[in-house]
Amino acid sequence: MLFFILTTIGKFLTKDEERDRALIARIKARDASALSELYDNYNRLLFGLILSILKKREEAEDTLQEVFTKIWEKAEQFDLERGTVYTWIVSLTRNKSIDRLRSKVYKEQKKQSTSLDDEDVFHPLYSDESDPLENTILTERAKIVRDALNKISEKQRKVLQVAYFNGMSQSEISEEFDIPLGTVKTRMRDGMMKLREFLAQDIEL
Amino acid sequence: MSNENNRFTELCAGHVLNALSEIDEQEFQRLLSQADAEQLQLLDEMRTAASELATLTSGETPSPTVKQKIMQVAKESASKKSSYATIYKMTWYRLAAAAAVLFVFTSIGLVMYSTGLQEEVQNKETLISQQQSTIERLETEVQRKEELLTILEARNVDLVMMDGLAEMSPNGYGKVVWDKKGGNALLQVANIPSVPIDKDYQLWFIVNGQPISAGVFAVDDPESDNFFKIEQLQSSADEGAFAITMEPKGGVPQPTGDMYLLGNM
Repeated sequence: MLFFILTTIGKFLTKDEERDRALIARIKARDASALSELYDNYNRLLFGLILSILKKREEAEDTLQEVFTKIWEKAEQFDLERGTVYTWIVSLTRNKSIDRLRSKVYKEQKKQSTSLDDEDVFHPLYSDESDPLENTILTERAKIVRDALNKISEKQRKVLQVAYFNGMSQSEISEEFDIPLGTVKTRMRDGMMKLREFLAQDIEL
Repeated sequence: MSNENNRFTELCAGHVLNALSEIDEQEFQRLLSQADAEQLQLLDEMRTAASELATLTSGETPSPTVKQKIMQVAKESASKKSSYATIYKMTWYRLAAAAAVLFVFTSIGLVMYSTGLQEEVQNKETLISQQQSTIERLETEVQRKEELLTILEARNVDLVMMDGLAEMSPNGYGKVVWDKKGGNALLQVANIPSVPIDKDYQLWFIVNGQPISAGVFAVDDPESDNFFKIEQLQSSADEGAFAITMEPKGGVPQPTGDMYLLGNM
């Protein structure tokens, strides 16, 4: 199915992926201008993602810097056979954000900051802006993902949303929304399986 | 779907969303290490699907200083790399180039060394040739001296002294040591002129008024004593004279030229 996802989504991905792979190749050759271009292409998307998880701009900016520094230093580790540049960068960004969110230092800061609690609200998932990412291809892809999510049950969708955009673990979701842990795991599994399935179907359309 | 496969799918969904507990993540990593191709494909697909969720984020603009800091780190790193770049890795073409340069310099060195050796060899060969000639000349000289000494060693020899003639060689000196028994004689001359290229001196033994040729010789160094061996000078005469005249090259049957030395027995 990944084949279908990658090949059909390729209608939208190909152009960006070709560009991204060329940039990664230049970054591997220590071309700093390629890193600058990659940053220009993805900084708003990634910063929005980090901000949705960490909530604090200063922490989010530090994390964004950390992500691009890692891309610069670890470009050699990118495996062309295992996925797209986009998937690699987004996964890297989420991993860095979640690591920071769950670090002892960050949790301590969060306890001492009441303002964080005030901001600790569900991040708006759907933007009303026509092109919030200023990238037509990304906007097209967002529409496909939005349509796929709309085909999933609300309970499953919510578990996916809070896990992905708030960086909440299964046990945290269980506590936060007072749902049995087993149920959270089941909803997450079924939700992801359906998202994977619908995403491929929607893209095939 | 087997229970284990079901468990893998459940953990996989939590893994791609970074939502697993530490214990569940450890269990997933254990299952992943034993995963089959289908399970690995499921992980890739779920990861791709999850990453597409990021397109839903409302874009936020970070501070311009973030990019400045990133680019500063990158440029410093790139400049460090470029400074390291002076330590070239010995790739095959650099190795080949180095070998080629080494080969060229070695060849030039060998050619120069070889040329020097050839010159030295030539010099040595010339020296050896010269020394060989000297040795041959000395051997000839020694042989000649030995022959002359043999004549002098003979117990019964006749000694004939010759004087220069006033007109041609007033200071001329000549001496014949004659071993009659052996039929050989030693001729010693000095202070007579060098002979022209087309001339030779000729020694005559005059007995009963008849000159008998005893051989021809040439003198190159008039100042020094010149020694010659006269062979086959057979005669039983007890009286007679020796004379030296200058004749055409190779000698003549009867004397025709000027007389330079003369002496009686």
